[in-house]
Amino acid sequence: MSIFSRLTSLFSPMGYPISEVLAYVVESAMLAIVASVSLAVVIYLFRKYMARVQLRIGPNRVGKFGLLQVMADGLKLAGKESIFPRKRDDLPYRIAPLMILVGLVMAFAVIPYGSLFWIGTLTVSDTSVSVLLLFAIIAIMPIGEVLAGISSKNKYALLGAMRAIAKDVSFEIPMMISVLAIVMMASARTASSLSINSIVLTELVPYGILQPLGIFVFMISMVARASYTPFDMGESDSELVTGYSTEYSGLRFGMFYMGLFGSILLGSFVISLFYLGGFNGPMQSSLGFVWLVIKAMIMVFMAFTLWLSMPRIRIDKFVNLGWKYLLPIAMINLVLSGTLTLLMGW
Amino acid sequence: MVRLVIEVKEPRRSIPIIGSLSGMMLVMRHLFRKPVTVQYPEEKSKLPDRFRFRIFLKLDDCVGCTLCEQVCPNGSITMQHVDRENPRNKRMIYPDVNFGTCTVCRNCEEICPTDAIYLTHVFETSRTRNSFTYSPEELAMQEDEVKK
Repeated sequence: MSIFSRLTSLFSPMGYPISEVLAYVVESAMLAIVASVSLAVVIYLFRKYMARVQLRIGPNRVGKFGLLQVMADGLKLAGKESIFPRKRDDLPYRIAPLMILVGLVMAFAVIPYGSLFWIGTLTVSDTSVSVLLLFAIIAIMPIGEVLAGISSKNKYALLGAMRAIAKDVSFEIPMMISVLAIVMMASARTASSLSINSIVLTELVPYGILQPLGIFVFMISMVARASYTPFDMGESDSELVTGYSTEYSGLRFGMFYMGLFGSILLGSFVISLFYLGGFNGPMQSSLGFVWLVIKAMIMVFMAFTLWLSMPRIRIDKFVNLGWKYLLPIAMINLVLSGTLTLLMGW
Repeated sequence: MVRLVIEVKEPRRSIPIIGSLSGMMLVMRHLFRKPVTVQYPEEKSKLPDRFRFRIFLKLDDCVGCTLCEQVCPNGSITMQHVDRENPRNKRMIYPDVNFGTCTVCRNCEEICPTDAIYLTHVFETSRTRNSFTYSPEELAMQEDEVKK
């Protein structure tokens, strides 16, 4: 039972098509609100964490402990004028930030969240092929970056987009192969091995323990997907102004910013679902969501630490890393996990 | 001809992930250290004992010798006429100080024969523009009494 099916049954007295449409609308609105609030929380946590690590205090003026600072920044961005470059390609320029944000919110709809006390399951929509759906959605977001870079007709934006493409092609294949190892291991235990929910339910021993190489490759891929500092080639703000988002201002820039932090949150959720046991834990039927959030938050803080402790690596080194190290490691991980599953029966 | 050959050493190679992890640990350790930021108007950092900024003047002690005016390297001090009964200051001239150009060299304090002019640790002398000059009466007042 997901939130979507419960909404459909709630609206079912209105007849078949209307109830389905209403369920979709309500679900999307709830999801957008929850996603943007959790993004604000992640941004606040990042700013506070970065400040404390750099021996500063961080936002503490707007609201208690600066809790409303993110909201104030968002209002400021929303009130700003969007300046359009004259030679832009209009349609791609306008839809690029939307693609990133909508892709992100869609990805949050596919993830299973476990259940919480009397509310029951918090999973928004559960399909039997949610792994494929999730990675299809994750593959949409780089297109937004590329469109933004090419359509703004700016040399920095174009260079940023080219770097983003080079980065994306070099990590996505290792990422998919490491996910394939997960699906392979899950298929020995469950019939519907392409559903994230059933993958997590088979994870009595977290797959991160069985596949240490897999979690290594997948974490690096998720860092590259979110494109923050060790791998922020698309932005490269010390060389390319701000890369593909150079020509954006106002709310459209805010969408890129939210996309960055949302990708961190999404990556943390996905890692904790696939490799850290997701919502498995003591009292799973009532505290499942809490376990998932705790694991995801640990991953978020690891991501922040990684962000704050490393410089950007050069683009050719990252491409080398992707093709010469991550891909063979992912292959070895695939073979190892196949061996573990077939021979040892783990 | 002597040829200078600069020998460039290859950096020592180590396992790459170890260095990254130790960097991450260093970043995490900083989380538990006290922030160095001082939230200025609410909390103030402790000033050193010998910190001096604001110049004060005891009008009763000043004899109008103009030594402070002569010794001031920037010409920040000029003598002003003040109508004030003081048997020791027959010419009725007292120094004023322009804090816009004062470099706090403390020459005036050192040369004053009666210790009438002296510096204190008061430093919050922010004023509206074009009025950095403290008149002799203002130099005698406490900082919060001075009209900014």
